[in-house]
Amino acid sequence: MKLSNVVRLYRVRLRSRIAQEVFAVLGIAVGVALLFASQVASTSLNGSVRQLNAGIVGQMRLQISARGPTGFDERLLGKVERLPGVLAAVPVLDERVSMIGPSGTQTVDVLGTDPRFAHLGGPLVRRLGYSRLAGLHAIAVPTPIAQAIGVTSLHPVELQIGASTRTALLGTTLTSSDIGALVDSPIAIGPLRYVQSLTDLSGRLTRIFIQPRPGEDAVVRSGLARLAAGTLNVRPGDYEATLFAQAAGPTNQSTVLFSAISALVGFLFAFNAMLLTVPERRRLVEDLRLDGYTAGMIARVLLFDAFVLGVLASIVGLVLGEALSVGLFNSNPGYLSLGFPIGSQRIVTWECIALAVGGAMVAACVGVLAPLRREIVLPLASAFSRHERSRKTKVLALVVGLACIAVTTIILLVAPQAAVIGIASLLVALLLLLPAALSAVVAGFDRLRRPLPGVSPYLAVIELRARANRPRALAIAATGAIAVFGSVAIQGAHHDLQKGLDQLAHQLNETQVLWVSPAGPGNALTTTAFDATAVETRLARLPGVGALRIYRGSFLDFGDRRVWVIAPPPADAHVIPASQVLKGDPMDAAAHVRDGGWVAMSQAIADEHRLRVGDSFTLPAPAPSTFRLAAITTNFGWPPGAVVLNANDYARAWRSSDPSAYQISLRPGSSQVHVMEEIEQALGAKSALVVESAAQREGRFRATSRQGLVRLTQISTLVLIAAVLAMGAAMGAMIWQRRPQLADMKVDGFGGRVLWRALLLESALLLGTGCSIGAIFGIYGQLLLSHALAAVTGFPVVFAVGGWVALQSFILVTAVAVAIVGVPGHAAARVRPAIGQPD
Amino acid sequence: MLVLRDVIKHYPLGDGEPVRAIDGVSLSVGAGELVALYGPSGSGKTTLLMMIAALLRPDSGAVIMDGRNVSELSERDAARYRLSELGFVRQSLNLLASASAIDNAALKLMGTDLRAGEAHRRVMPLLHRLGLGARVNHRGEQLSMGERQRVMIARALSTEPKLVLADEPTGSLDSGRTREVLGLLTEVCRERRAAVLLVTHDPRAAAYADRVHALQDGRLVEYEPDRALAPASAP
Repeated sequence: MKLSNVVRLYRVRLRSRIAQEVFAVLGIAVGVALLFASQVASTSLNGSVRQLNAGIVGQMRLQISARGPTGFDERLLGKVERLPGVLAAVPVLDERVSMIGPSGTQTVDVLGTDPRFAHLGGPLVRRLGYSRLAGLHAIAVPTPIAQAIGVTSLHPVELQIGASTRTALLGTTLTSSDIGALVDSPIAIGPLRYVQSLTDLSGRLTRIFIQPRPGEDAVVRSGLARLAAGTLNVRPGDYEATLFAQAAGPTNQSTVLFSAISALVGFLFAFNAMLLTVPERRRLVEDLRLDGYTAGMIARVLLFDAFVLGVLASIVGLVLGEALSVGLFNSNPGYLSLGFPIGSQRIVTWECIALAVGGAMVAACVGVLAPLRREIVLPLASAFSRHERSRKTKVLALVVGLACIAVTTIILLVAPQAAVIGIASLLVALLLLLPAALSAVVAGFDRLRRPLPGVSPYLAVIELRARANRPRALAIAATGAIAVFGSVAIQGAHHDLQKGLDQLAHQLNETQVLWVSPAGPGNALTTTAFDATAVETRLARLPGVGALRIYRGSFLDFGDRRVWVIAPPPADAHVIPASQVLKGDPMDAAAHVRDGGWVAMSQAIADEHRLRVGDSFTLPAPAPSTFRLAAITTNFGWPPGAVVLNANDYARAWRSSDPSAYQISLRPGSSQVHVMEEIEQALGAKSALVVESAAQREGRFRATSRQGLVRLTQISTLVLIAAVLAMGAAMGAMIWQRRPQLADMKVDGFGGRVLWRALLLESALLLGTGCSIGAIFGIYGQLLLSHALAAVTGFPVVFAVGGWVALQSFILVTAVAVAIVGVPGHAAARVRPAIGQPD
Repeated sequence: MLVLRDVIKHYPLGDGEPVRAIDGVSLSVGAGELVALYGPSGSGKTTLLMMIAALLRPDSGAVIMDGRNVSELSERDAARYRLSELGFVRQSLNLLASASAIDNAALKLMGTDLRAGEAHRRVMPLLHRLGLGARVNHRGEQLSMGERQRVMIARALSTEPKLVLADEPTGSLDSGRTREVLGLLTEVCRERRAAVLLVTHDPRAAAYADRVHALQDGRLVEYEPDRALAPASAP
């Protein structure tokens, strides 16, 4: 059979089913859009850090880096250059600052370097125009940063560094023609000496990038390790990307899960639509068989249908997905940007497009071929054996479904790290058990309706039991089930996580009344140290201040993790929140940490280093120090994990007495508002330090953590909307196609109102069953995901049965879908009585 | 040409007695003959047609077409057999509603190596012969029931089959259209020397045949058609 004949056959058949085909295209396109947008969000997140890293590092394969914010002596550069095997070594000073302009503040990483980097580094530094900047004593920033804060080239800009504010000259802005996609990176670049003077780190570096001679990497690495002497980190040049990949793991896993559920809902949307065309295709297949077409030829005809469907859906889906990605998902998860320079560039990889298009083609092929597989191969299978097969199939579905639930339970109890497999297994169980659940609900309703007056319930039961309606009814119910499942499971798990984070935020702030710390969005975790000895004395002397204690904190690269270091003052009554302790006695642990020489650390870090409570280990701080493990904790909401030690131990290990914050308690009888005013006056209007109450600080913690979860909430909402539309449209179409039957029933004397009530009841039962099954399975899914979050990633999670979330999703989806169905239902029920109307 | 020898087809029904759809049927159709298989709904007519078309295998017995047992053909060979040696006339409701009359008629030819244009050229004379010359570009949904049935006849004859199987071709037609369609079917088949096996529950249609077999509960029984129901041109 010639391809041109296949095309012609497609064309001549299209007119009679164009509405259904458009519907199917839209359905698949919705799945493609959600899948594409969530994939782009994920690749953008990971890719922006990788891209920035590559833009800076270029050909440099190794680096030696400081462990603390004050860096190391720049004289080390000469020693590195003289190591055997070193081709080139480039000094770098990088510091996280807040860049303040007339219209806003942006957190950027200021990078100071020298001309060598302009030749050896990545595109970001190569296009620097270094000599121009060096002459000006200025910095360069990407144009979007400058525009966001309202500054232009050759104008001053304020830099907040710790507790100080410095004025720098913005020498030039870098456009996309200068640095390509890196234009969305949160970075500023300047000459080394200039940046050193801005940051008060003259004579200091934070990194040296090294380019070894070919084949000499090992030699250079061992030389660097010798120079580092256990006080500096020797790593690959692109190590920042590795650290980030580890930190973004949980976010990426959630995105993958959501992408899969979105794609499934989109596919079911399309499947519902394609079921409308099954009768036409079934007749065609039977016809072609009779006319001598082989199974292969028929498959070619149908595959062409699927190909056109898939291509159109891919195009529409990618356009929709692009709009979603730009309009809705184009924001970085604020939480991770506290520890990493995450840009806002959108990175669309060929893999994103291939996955979306591949998904569309598979969905189209399955949707077209699957309902007709028997007709293609065995067009006239016996009706009797079909009945026999269907009974065996039902039993098999039940058994396999229950087995899948058992698999999920085993994973929950024994291996929560395989949560994604557990969710997939639960989804399979849901789909396999749905038919039996629907039959049970219909049978139960049939019993209950008998004492009720009116014939509408009886009519609804008849339609739900009709064999001809079964495939479509199940597809509609499955759409609602999966959408509600996804929403309940993921929203529920995030609800548990959010409660845990909120509880943590409260506990970290419950004893301290006031906090004084550097301002700026980048300091939400209080990790910025500052030099403010004079300020400390002034604050301590204020009449309303009862006690002033020093809090310290920072990030530390510990193995492959950028861990959050929390160092409260020893006098802190809640140095380790008891609810965050997973192993060890909370009271004993707190006492040990207060006394010094002990730390608490997150489960994931302890597991990685095979540490148990009581074990000794060396913390890779600027001054490597031996501690004992007092307790194993959650990750305090920071994905790579956290280490808790007292502020004095921190000062010794970091060789720095700089605070990250002051914790201030009130003198008895003082008013909090009054003392805050005193402190603001003492700090001065131009101070980079801000005072906030514990409640305000707690609120800021909560807002930051919620920001990280907002994208998944958006996806979840979109999935529900798509499901409601899919179910409403499919149900409406199914009812509309039933008009001849309704016309017949009117001849038998059934009124329009009776028929409408029957249609609504049928819709409510069908949609309600699907959504309630989805909600029930969703609660189990929530349990699994919450345990995975807690056990695998160490997040602080407060377990709660997501009954309210489940009920909300169930009511919302069912009610809206039934309401949508009410319109075509009402119109269909108004059909004029007639006998033998053509379909 | 076509010989059915003691063909049996039973369907199992749970734990009870199997349904004997065809229970030992033997008949033959010679070249150029028009044979009618007459019987009520459920008598097994369609099952018999499916076995002749190699879409169902008999439980026992043989379906011999030109000396070849078609019930032993592979799926591929069976499709080829249906394409080149059989023509199937069924109810016109199976027409592609949005395709033109000529596209519908050429559907079978499009399954061969012919391009659509060549397929159209080959069925055009047939459509003219069937009185559809002025309607070739009209869509299926725009044709009358009688016209649609004639398009189905054109499709069935487009590959010059040896045997035409007609399954209730006049089931949805009034008496006038029935006469018209059956008259054309017999005329055109005789012109092309194609045998016809006509399956029907309508005694008027059966009266057109050279021979009539009656099928009841899967078995052939004695039947004498009322020739008065056929027009003068019928045998």
